[in-house]
Amino acid sequence: MVNRTAIIKQPDKISFFNDVYKLQKEYQDGLILDKSNPSFIWIGEHQLCYTLGRGSNYDNLLFSLNDNKYDVFKIDRGGEVTCHMPGQLVTYLVLDLKNFNKDLNWYLRKIEDMIIKILGTFDIDCHSRKGLTGVWKENKKIASIGIGCKRWITINGFSINFDCELENFNKIIPCGIENCLMANMIDYNKNLNIQEVKRIVKKIIQEEFNFDFVSK
Amino acid sequence: MSHEIFMPALSSTMTEGKIVEWLKNPGDKVERGESVLVVESDKADMDVESFQDGYLAAVLMPAGSTAPVGETIGLIVENEDEIASVQEQNKGNQPEVSTSDKLELVSNKTEEKPVVQNENIKKEEQEVVLKSEKPVPSFNSDQINAATINVSSRIIASPRAKKLASQMGVDLAKVHGSGPHGRIQADDILKAKGQPVSIPWIGEGGSPASIPGSNLGVESKQETSGNSFGNPGETVQFNTLQKAVNKNMESSLDVPCFRVGYSISTDKLDNFYKKVKQNGVTMTALLVKAVAKTLKKHPQVNSSFSENGISYPENINIAVAVAMEDGGLITPVLKEPCNTDLFELSREWKDLVKRSRSKQLEPDEYSTGTFTLSNLGMFGVDRFDAILPPGTGAILAIASSKPTVVANSDGSISVKKIMQVNLTADHRVIYGADGASFLKDLAYLIENEPGTLVS
Repeated sequence: MVNRTAIIKQPDKISFFNDVYKLQKEYQDGLILDKSNPSFIWIGEHQLCYTLGRGSNYDNLLFSLNDNKYDVFKIDRGGEVTCHMPGQLVTYLVLDLKNFNKDLNWYLRKIEDMIIKILGTFDIDCHSRKGLTGVWKENKKIASIGIGCKRWITINGFSINFDCELENFNKIIPCGIENCLMANMIDYNKNLNIQEVKRIVKKIIQEEFNFDFVSK
Repeated sequence: MSHEIFMPALSSTMTEGKIVEWLKNPGDKVERGESVLVVESDKADMDVESFQDGYLAAVLMPAGSTAPVGETIGLIVENEDEIASVQEQNKGNQPEVSTSDKLELVSNKTEEKPVVQNENIKKEEQEVVLKSEKPVPSFNSDQINAATINVSSRIIASPRAKKLASQMGVDLAKVHGSGPHGRIQADDILKAKGQPVSIPWIGEGGSPASIPGSNLGVESKQETSGNSFGNPGETVQFNTLQKAVNKNMESSLDVPCFRVGYSISTDKLDNFYKKVKQNGVTMTALLVKAVAKTLKKHPQVNSSFSENGISYPENINIAVAVAMEDGGLITPVLKEPCNTDLFELSREWKDLVKRSRSKQLEPDEYSTGTFTLSNLGMFGVDRFDAILPPGTGAILAIASSKPTVVANSDGSISVKKIMQVNLTADHRVIYGADGASFLKDLAYLIENEPGTLVS
């Protein structure tokens, strides 16, 4: 029997990237072992760090790896280098695509649509761009997506720039796109509160994937 | 015996995928279900797992290269001592295992920790990328050319046969071709190597291509003799499987069945099949996919009788009858074909057939069908009807597709390939109109939109 239960974690404090990555892996392994195990959703923020996908080009990292100032992680996801930091809302979804649609392109487009809905709730009108996965406000990127998958069980997810130090993106070529401009949600709507955005992220994931959430 | 690793379809629109990384080196031991490589499409990547225990013998497409969906990208062998021979045959196909590859692996192991790397490693990574930009031929052309030059007359062989010959080290000049005009086919290579032919003698086909000579309107020569389990004058006891089949067949006498038939034109389906066949797609997988997609729109035809009323299964699982060489038959089940792409479905089917012949199927792999297909097309039969298996509502009998003179609605006459199908259904749950409209939609799908069967 398919389990529609999803464990949801929404820490208020800043979380270390590695801890959450390990947690995701545990839930992914759980679902690989037994499909009746719960899905896992994580919504939160990370300390400043840079992550690379398994196929990432190190040339897009504009600082030396010897530079101990920066945390760099190589993880199981597609796409090029990106950056996480406080003020950026990160969401991970560990779920079994066999219960939805065994199609990674479908999943990427669905995540884009969800982000557009989330931002639309706050009157920020965004769009996707063909061939440039992510969500864009005019020519600026406001949300990034990176997915890993094993036996159709996903890992990682998406990040939305809420109110973060966009200068941190200058130390990389984000997603391998030269001269990529980035934007924050707060640039378009001053009266936002990150807790409110988290609530909407949760609500829209619940609606789109029809999960029964259990908080942990 | 080597097993191929294919480029998987990560989505219905994907035509090719990029190999991000091989997680195993040639010679490494792999377990069934263990990740062997990572494939990327857009911003998503996926681990590709081994289908069996064994050893990674050859990497045919290096990290960084792209390959079309369904292409063979690596080879797995069951025994360690086979590695050397497979590697020898694929020399020139494999990217060199250099220190940079090893370094990459080391850096992977540290992925849980902040990656402490230096500029040297960065350079090595670039080397790997550069090296892999060179396209690698999927078979060793040198070997084939050499074989072809050795003889005075031209050797005609199918592309798959050439590829297999180079992989298995078979000299094409010494192989007797069984195809049209002595063309060497994949089976001939397998036979020459003394390996079992991977295509079962039943359960595969439905395409007129499998009946040589039928296009000419001439009866094809029957090479195989009919089955017999005993000698004249003997009475041979039923084996367990035959007994089980007898029981199932007898129980159908209590079911009020009716039959309804349809003639389906397969010209488009055959053309589509020709295109995807090279990617390992089987006709059975195509037919299963078409039936499952149509059943999705006709849940009544997927239902069955129970004491409490009409029972609608949660899933669509298609069982396909496969005759066993030593008597009896078994119905391996392709589960939820609508959720599996055509390439994976074909692989699942080949795996099921192989394991059913060696009697290694788990009960849920042959007893969970909600609808059954029986295909005798490969024998050239023009029509037949099937007996309903217990616990299900309907079974579809599929005959051969044959060139037929057709009178069209505008008064013109043309020759089309026509395949007759015949549905047997339990009238307590499925009525004539249900069966008829199911067949009408199935015919429409096969006749007009075979391309949609990919996903």
